[in-house]
Amino acid sequence: MINEQIYRRFNHTVAACFVIYFLFPEYILGIQREYTILLFWIFIVAIEYLRLNKDLKVLGMRDYENNRIAGFVWFATGTCLILGLYELDIVPQSLAIATIIMAAFTDPLIGEANQKLGDKWGIGLGLLCSFLIYQLVVGVLFYSIVGSIIAVVSERPKIKWFDDDLAMQLIPIIVLTLLSVMDFSPDIPLEIVGGSL
Amino acid sequence: MRITRIYIYLMYIIVIFSIIMFISEEHYIIASLLFLGNMLPGYAMATSLMEKNGN
Repeated sequence: MINEQIYRRFNHTVAACFVIYFLFPEYILGIQREYTILLFWIFIVAIEYLRLNKDLKVLGMRDYENNRIAGFVWFATGTCLILGLYELDIVPQSLAIATIIMAAFTDPLIGEANQKLGDKWGIGLGLLCSFLIYQLVVGVLFYSIVGSIIAVVSERPKIKWFDDDLAMQLIPIIVLTLLSVMDFSPDIPLEIVGGSL
Repeated sequence: MRITRIYIYLMYIIVIFSIIMFISEEHYIIASLLFLGNMLPGYAMATSLMEKNGN
């Protein structure tokens, strides 16, 4: 049997590869690339519909996800929203890339650390991981500190209708984007990756 | 189970392809992050798959 917990974690970290979207050309097979976000989201929702209503077997589901929306749908929704907001020129590309990678890696790290080392380690390693990712991608200490704190705080509450997979993406990017337009905030690199595939 | 295995192999391909693309565009930091973040879970997943083969 495949270890379902490892499978779940690997699924989660692979989701960081969503950032390859920023290398896509403007048109993919004649379709504007923005529409691929919508098509992908519809595909994910269709799988979830079949899982919940037509008994489609999907490996790696937790017991409590049997009758409610699964984590992968929340994560994909968050990522699609970020990509959509980027295409609408609402969020900067650097924050979008950093937040998607941060959410993909930090959430499973916190989960593993909580399980094996305890909650305090979960918070500490979560802060460290998200701080490093923001610092390496965005490169501005102010946003790295604020972003990492917000990301870890967003992960804590367990709310049925607002999963942490979505919260860890939406809350940090909204707060950081709002901060980036304030007068007192440091400048932020807007575009760091250009389309080229 | 066969579909799951194919899906897992596809995930490896996606990770490797993404890393290569970011390296080719000289975005070494993003490529490194994708590599480092997927290395451990990817290794654990491969071990889990091989254990299955051993059985």
